[in-house]
Amino acid sequence: MLEELNKDNIVQEDKKFKRKELTDRIVKLIFLFIAIICASFVIFIVIFILEKGIEPFVKNYSLVEGEVVQQNIGLFFTNTRWLYDGNGGMGFLLLTTLYTTLLSLIISIPVSIFTALFIVRMAPKRAKPVIKTCVELLSSIPSVIYGIFGMGVICPIIQMAPVQTFAGNSILSASLVLALMSIPTITMVSINAIEAVDKSMINASIALGASNAQTNLKIVLFSAKSGIFAGIILGVGRALGEATAVQMVIGNNANGLGFYNPLNPGMTLTSAMLSGIGEASGIGYDVRFSLGIVLILVILMITSILNVVKNKMDVIKTKNSTSVIKKIGKFFSSDIAFIRTYFNDKFKKDSK
Amino acid sequence: MIEFENEQTNVEQKVDNSANTLLDKEEFKNPENIAFSCRNVDLYYDYGEKHSLKNINIDILKNKVTAFIGPSGCGKSTLLRCFDRMNDLIDGCKVTGDIKYMGQDINEINTIYLRTKVGMVFQQPNPFPMSIRNNICYGPRCQGIKNKDTLNKIVEQSLKDSALYDEVSDRLDASGLSLSGGQQQRLCIARTIAMSPDVILMDEPTSALDPIATLKIEELIKELKKKYTIIIVTHNMQQAARISDYTAFFMLGELVEFNETEEFFAHPRDKRSEDYITGRFG
Repeated sequence: MLEELNKDNIVQEDKKFKRKELTDRIVKLIFLFIAIICASFVIFIVIFILEKGIEPFVKNYSLVEGEVVQQNIGLFFTNTRWLYDGNGGMGFLLLTTLYTTLLSLIISIPVSIFTALFIVRMAPKRAKPVIKTCVELLSSIPSVIYGIFGMGVICPIIQMAPVQTFAGNSILSASLVLALMSIPTITMVSINAIEAVDKSMINASIALGASNAQTNLKIVLFSAKSGIFAGIILGVGRALGEATAVQMVIGNNANGLGFYNPLNPGMTLTSAMLSGIGEASGIGYDVRFSLGIVLILVILMITSILNVVKNKMDVIKTKNSTSVIKKIGKFFSSDIAFIRTYFNDKFKKDSK
Repeated sequence: MIEFENEQTNVEQKVDNSANTLLDKEEFKNPENIAFSCRNVDLYYDYGEKHSLKNINIDILKNKVTAFIGPSGCGKSTLLRCFDRMNDLIDGCKVTGDIKYMGQDINEINTIYLRTKVGMVFQQPNPFPMSIRNNICYGPRCQGIKNKDTLNKIVEQSLKDSALYDEVSDRLDASGLSLSGGQQQRLCIARTIAMSPDVILMDEPTSALDPIATLKIEELIKELKKKYTIIIVTHNMQQAARISDYTAFFMLGELVEFNETEEFFAHPRDKRSEDYITGRFG
């Protein structure tokens, strides 16, 4: 009698728990579905830009004089002028973009790392939150404000240089503005990385008779290097992709031979896409999408290369033997199998 | 137990155990034998709110192993950290009284010099995330030694002294983090020895290790005491009895008793020590 009661109990309890597990698994699948939709926007955007960006190479555009033109593929890579009549070349735009980014990083990386180090390790207790908040605020300022600041403050300062400049509009001013914009990003990520350094490691270094400076440079920065590098990757992304502020200060010189001199005006991929987009039509409008392809490819390439470098830098290596796709497959299959068997059992019982 | 608490509230006002802690023995009379001497040391955390060490009077002999035992939170690690002034790193920590190292007030010695002479091994093995060689070279390099031959000699010697040489001599360029826990702790000891200190402070060096690794470290300590003065904090009374020459027993921030280890465990003079040893609390 007692045994039977127990059995009944167990069967009932089992049902209850199975239902609980079922809701758990269904909720998990729904969340996964939403996350996948979110992530797949990347793919949608790339497909859209690709589709629009290939058009200028294949479609016929009529110009005012009645000519019919297409974007010339050879000149697209080699020409040193950016034109909207089918002969424009983007090679120098790409070089200018990389050059401007590099210049800005030369300024922003050391400044950000030392700011982060100061905030975490040296700042007096009361000053720390104040400085940190200032840096955080800096990252929330919109890019057009940086552009205006560059036009109003940085360009006039560059103009004071003892050589002829294009009213201060130059690659150097663009680099300075980009540096200002990427400093908060790199600093905030570096702060987190430096704060995560094991305290006992720092104590060990100090107990060994290392000075504070030696500890900071050799242990703290060394241990935090992969985190700091993650910040640099974000900064690179920001500098490569910034359009508005760059367009406002770089001078937009469509004749690209002078990009080697930072005091010359120049044109980056982003500023070429943005400048005069309101009045553009026909091939002059569509060819900007081709620039978009180049920009996306460059950014994807550079960040993935930097990510590989970062993973090699990681102090403690985690081994990932199974591939991501296999893992996602596993993630799905067990849940689907569970749900299927659950309903199969239920239908069988119902039909009986 | 209740009786004991009453006793505590009574002595809260004024602690004076110096009769039980300053030994009247030949070795202690010659000031050259003494590595550290503390007189009326008080320590406060949190800007004076927490009174963590109360009137400590103790002498530490050179080339002996001194063990600090006591229940958790009794201040034994705190006193250990006073000796190489690691408490300076903690905000709101204040030390009063005299602590002398080799007869000199430690506040007058340059901290960096003091820390090269007084090494420290921590509770958790914490090698730097670099190769074994660089882990050991780190300290000497910070003191400006750059010659490769000298550094190689230091690496070899300190690995041999810490009984790690045979296990790692063929992979000195492997990461220090790739070693097992016990090996990592011996690497930390090697790193400390590389500075050729006079004193090694050990803050529960075996509490994160398994019994076999613990045994190895204990053997190492017995070997090291020929060259160095060792002060070891431990939770484990058996460990103190096994390896130390002198034992100090701490309780709620005061030093209750200090004596030769054998005598301390055989004939504790204070009732609290006796209770602790016999396992009545703690």
